[in-house]
Amino acid sequence: MLLNSVIIVLREVLEAALIFSILLALSKQSRIHRTWIIWSLLIGLFGAVIYGINIPLVSEWFDGVGQEVVNALMQYAVYIMLLLYIIILLLYASEPAPETRKLLVIMMVLITSIAMICEGAEILLYFFSVTRSAHHYAAVMMGMIIGASIGISIGFLFYYLLMNICEKWSMIFGLGLLILVSSGMISQATLLMIQADWLPAQMPLWNTSDFLSEKSVLGQLLYALVGYEATPTALQASMYLGGLILPVFIIVLLKLKFKG
Amino acid sequence: MKSIRTFLITVILSTITLVVFLSALNGYKDSMHKAEQLFDMALVDKAYLLSIVFSLFNENGYKPLSESRVINLMQAKHPEIKGNDVFMFQIWQDNILLLRSLQTPKEPISDFKTGFQNKNIIGHRWRIYAFYNDKLYLWILTAERSDIRYVLAENIILETILPVIIMLPLLGILIWILISYGLSPLRKLAQELGNKKADDLSPLPVDQQPVELIQVVNSTNNLFNRLKASFLREKRFASDAAHELRTPISAIKIHLHNLTQVVPEDNHSFQQLNDAVNRMGHLVEQILNLNRTSPEQYISKFTEVDLYTIAQEVIAREYQQFAEKDLQIELEGKHVHINGDPFALDVLLQNLLSNACKYSNNGDSVRVSINTTEQSVELQVQNSGPGVPEDQYGRLFDRFYRLHGDRHDSGVTGCGLGLAIVQQIAELHQARIELGHSSFSTGLSVKVIFNKNNVNTRDEGRNNA
Amino acid sequence: MRKSPFIWLLSVIGFIFPGLNVLAATPLIDVEIKNHLFIPSEIIIPENTKVKLVIHNRDETDEEFESYELNREKVIIGNRKGIIFIGPLPAGEYPFFGEFFPKTAQGKVIVK
Repeated sequence: MLLNSVIIVLREVLEAALIFSILLALSKQSRIHRTWIIWSLLIGLFGAVIYGINIPLVSEWFDGVGQEVVNALMQYAVYIMLLLYIIILLLYASEPAPETRKLLVIMMVLITSIAMICEGAEILLYFFSVTRSAHHYAAVMMGMIIGASIGISIGFLFYYLLMNICEKWSMIFGLGLLILVSSGMISQATLLMIQADWLPAQMPLWNTSDFLSEKSVLGQLLYALVGYEATPTALQASMYLGGLILPVFIIVLLKLKFKG
Repeated sequence: MKSIRTFLITVILSTITLVVFLSALNGYKDSMHKAEQLFDMALVDKAYLLSIVFSLFNENGYKPLSESRVINLMQAKHPEIKGNDVFMFQIWQDNILLLRSLQTPKEPISDFKTGFQNKNIIGHRWRIYAFYNDKLYLWILTAERSDIRYVLAENIILETILPVIIMLPLLGILIWILISYGLSPLRKLAQELGNKKADDLSPLPVDQQPVELIQVVNSTNNLFNRLKASFLREKRFASDAAHELRTPISAIKIHLHNLTQVVPEDNHSFQQLNDAVNRMGHLVEQILNLNRTSPEQYISKFTEVDLYTIAQEVIAREYQQFAEKDLQIELEGKHVHINGDPFALDVLLQNLLSNACKYSNNGDSVRVSINTTEQSVELQVQNSGPGVPEDQYGRLFDRFYRLHGDRHDSGVTGCGLGLAIVQQIAELHQARIELGHSSFSTGLSVKVIFNKNNVNTRDEGRNNA
Repeated sequence: MRKSPFIWLLSVIGFIFPGLNVLAATPLIDVEIKNHLFIPSEIIIPENTKVKLVIHNRDETDEEFESYELNREKVIIGNRKGIIFIGPLPAGEYPFFGEFFPKTAQGKVIVK
């Protein structure tokens, strides 16, 4: 039970922690004060509780695949907002006006809190299901503490890593990671849509689980960071690539426009 | 903005958390695996034991046992293995069930394949071991509840992980304390620099500093030395120059006096020369005053002084000036003692009075008043001259600034250092200056407010030191 | 089976990729969760076919159907059912487990 609760919590916390640390590092560069975290934590936790309570209802939607569809839509929404965030950041990176700064803060709060809603709801569901039987209580609690601590620690280390590389590189590095994380979300959302049969199912393209299992901590880290998938389908892989190329394309276009 | 301490604590604690928890998880995984193996071995042992015991009790050959004998046998020989929920077994020969534990189904609990298997039976998950005794032609099937043995194993292993989790917050506090302690030389150095007085350019002690800070302290001390030297040079230059100028000016004055024998008094050039020389003498005196009272080099001798007496003395000394312009001068208030430097306060009052005089028209009034309030002693000099527009107040204290530019109506001699000197002396006494309209219909009021507490504490501090 | 115009469009696009199989009738398989056990714990499905698993959770507690091999994960609320589409898959064994009670809720999909 311990290992399982570690993995469940770690998977969810890690993704949120990575997004938080990247956005925090980037917001420090656009000189945005970090008080926005409090807002996203509040909205995220509140939303997670509301969503967690309503999952029984939501899962009945769309012939019993409501949860997949809602989660996938949330992840697509996060991707689009991350895309907008990147564009705004690049357009006004040099001297963000107060209005732009406000817009960036709203974007960041939305992105992080929606990510938290998806992931927090699952942790809550798990916690309340498993702790109903008393003899798993200690193991689950310990597992959750360990998983959350590992996730948050990685987030902190990541933040300081981003903060301590030089400013020019940390911008590029941070944006690159953000694009990877958001493409990973596209891939996950696509998987959920396939699972719900809203998108066509296919044979997996390859299987790398012998090489690197999604169950391992490294697998989980790569899953959260670059959307690692051991057995992706063609549709998933192409959505991932599309999600990767689109922002890069936009960035190159913006850079060219600025130069020309 | 960036704190070394926060950085160190967060990064170290995060790294430790990561390493410790990952290794604890690894340990957990290995231990669970070992425990599983141990349980499996016990299951195998039980199967062997069963086969041996069974063959010993049935040396005459095997026959299928009736349902009642199964239970009787079990109860007679092993009353405690009453076919409980945790363990069960079956003994088969040629698809005939010879013996089984109570509550075990009559169907085979596993397909007859040697080795381990996991299966759902009667509403639970079981770990089943099957082995074929090829001498006796018996299939022995033993099974254990997987969830129960898992909980048993996990509870033991959790005991070893719990201390790690409890230890981490303690470790966090310990790291906090250690890093705070480790950074204390840095904090102490910052404090020492912060506490340094503006005029204190003495070097910091190097010998107690840690290796990492020696360079910083050395560089700072170097800077202090250079600064001290340049201060000294500047001070010497200004005061030496002023001092050196005094003698030739005195000589010129004597010669001018002598010249009055030869040159008629009303000669225009002669009078201009006389004025210019007087102005130059005044300027030199003021520069010397400014230098003497500057906080970087002023070594004040604070004693208890009577502000009223000083005012009386200064007025008496300067009375000639006032009489020349036919000014009314009055002194109000009573004797009050403050801690201060008598010479500096004398200079302060002298400057205030000469300003009041200079910027008054003939027949005006000047009032000096000394008031005591609960917290402060106020020295106020007012005149009924034309006064100063409010927007000029700020600039009055600038060095060499003079009202209405260089030329003024009254043709007063002055060099624009008076109020700068007054301000410097007020700062020495931690006093405040307020400018305002005088209580006459026109004119300026200059109020110097000595804080009783400040002067006292400063004084006590000095006495102790 | 859902056949919105959206799906039709996507399936047409999807034909570019090999192994696509949305248009075949989807077989339906019922699975129960009871006392944190999957019943049946072995599900046999044909090769290269999409299958609709209907999982009925008869327990009070929620369970999460999880399989790294099948790449599926879905929360099934207590006393309710959930639908998961799996496949098409190459032949082989694909273990799955209930993530909330992994030691008892175990099973595998056997693709033949």
